[in-house]
Amino acid sequence: MQDAAEAEIIEIGDLSPEEWTDYAIAQGWSDGLPLAIPTEAAVERLVALCRGDNEPFPPISPRQVVPTLRSLAANAVMAGCRPDYFPVVLAALRGVLRPEYNLHGTLATTHPCAPMVLVSGPARHALGLNCGTNCFGQGNRANATIGRALELILLNIGGARPGVMDRATQGSPAKYSFCFGENQEESPWAPYHVRRGFAPEDSVVTVMAGEGPHNINDHASTTGEGILTTIAQSIAQPGSNNIYGKGPYVLVLGPEHAATLARDGWTIEALQQALFERARVHVSRVSPENVRQYVDSGHPPVDDHLLLAPTPEDIHILVAGGAGKHSAWIPSFGGTAVCSVKVRAPA
Amino acid sequence: MRIVNPSFGLAPAGAEQAASGAVDWREDPILLFSNAKPNAKELLEGLRDRLATIRRVDNVDFVHKNSASQPAPPELIEAAARKYRIALLALGD
Repeated sequence: MQDAAEAEIIEIGDLSPEEWTDYAIAQGWSDGLPLAIPTEAAVERLVALCRGDNEPFPPISPRQVVPTLRSLAANAVMAGCRPDYFPVVLAALRGVLRPEYNLHGTLATTHPCAPMVLVSGPARHALGLNCGTNCFGQGNRANATIGRALELILLNIGGARPGVMDRATQGSPAKYSFCFGENQEESPWAPYHVRRGFAPEDSVVTVMAGEGPHNINDHASTTGEGILTTIAQSIAQPGSNNIYGKGPYVLVLGPEHAATLARDGWTIEALQQALFERARVHVSRVSPENVRQYVDSGHPPVDDHLLLAPTPEDIHILVAGGAGKHSAWIPSFGGTAVCSVKVRAPA
Repeated sequence: MRIVNPSFGLAPAGAEQAASGAVDWREDPILLFSNAKPNAKELLEGLRDRLATIRRVDNVDFVHKNSASQPAPPELIEAAARKYRIALLALGD
């Protein structure tokens, strides 16, 4: 890590909470919501947990400046993070800074992608992350503030200012915060991070530039085949950026859908292959102009269908959520990668 | 009250800028660079037509990224930097 002492200290006088909020928003530091105050003492509590993290960070696009531990911690404080969330925030940042994630493209695009943050492993319970009922929704401090901290870092250090360097046509609520935990306990398959090569005892953050979750409702199907049919047809959307840019996507199965699929013998690999073959769009559902564009951009139809993922392995499947017959798919920006980073233990 | 500036960052190592000499817009080669989005090529073709009314254009060339969503490959940037001192970028969409 860079010298932890490197930071700019600002004397802002004695501000009331309301005055602080107005000040911070005037500086352009906010996502529109009130922020906690990044006092030196508050920042130090986070920094103290990560002093052993000595791997430098690369510059953050689009502003291209190198963050320091204290400036990162200041954003986590403002987001409302507890100190022990900070190692997860740093792992998420390391993920989006990998070249294959394509941070600059995902921030500057007109597409409404946001950094999806998935947490697997023991940190989920240690930090109280919601992996179950309403895991994409409101009401949990860890989910809300870890995702928000990453967004504030990209805004304030990275310079991804809406309307300036963040050129999203409409944006997305996911740009406020998009963090959830894997429901390993109700998954019939090995945990996602173990399938990615990590040890079960590792805590791992996985990031992808994704849209907000798209719900997949199937209350009627009683077989894995039936559920899979609904999922494949829900994913096969002509207007998806996955057709436009070709890239990975995430399927988040609710535990009940997952249990039915597993009961009927579906493995992760079989699901990936089946979705690769079935979740594709026939050219008759796409305008001729768009087909021409896909051909021009090197993504011609295959057997008169447009693919959403380049390979079956680009379809990432895991379990999260609680009771109910719902699953979700998370389309990506297309030109991005799913990146997993081990969370470093606090110092 | 003292706070830590949340926008603070350091300039990356080796971030110094190279000085560029004067450019002759009437004679120097020009690269017209498309971001590979729809209409970028059309914008650049129109620009080249306009340039043709005021200068030679046999040394005004086109290039495009392979993907609208991915950065231009470093080798493409390097090759362009070696050959051209003027590049005009079209951001179609």
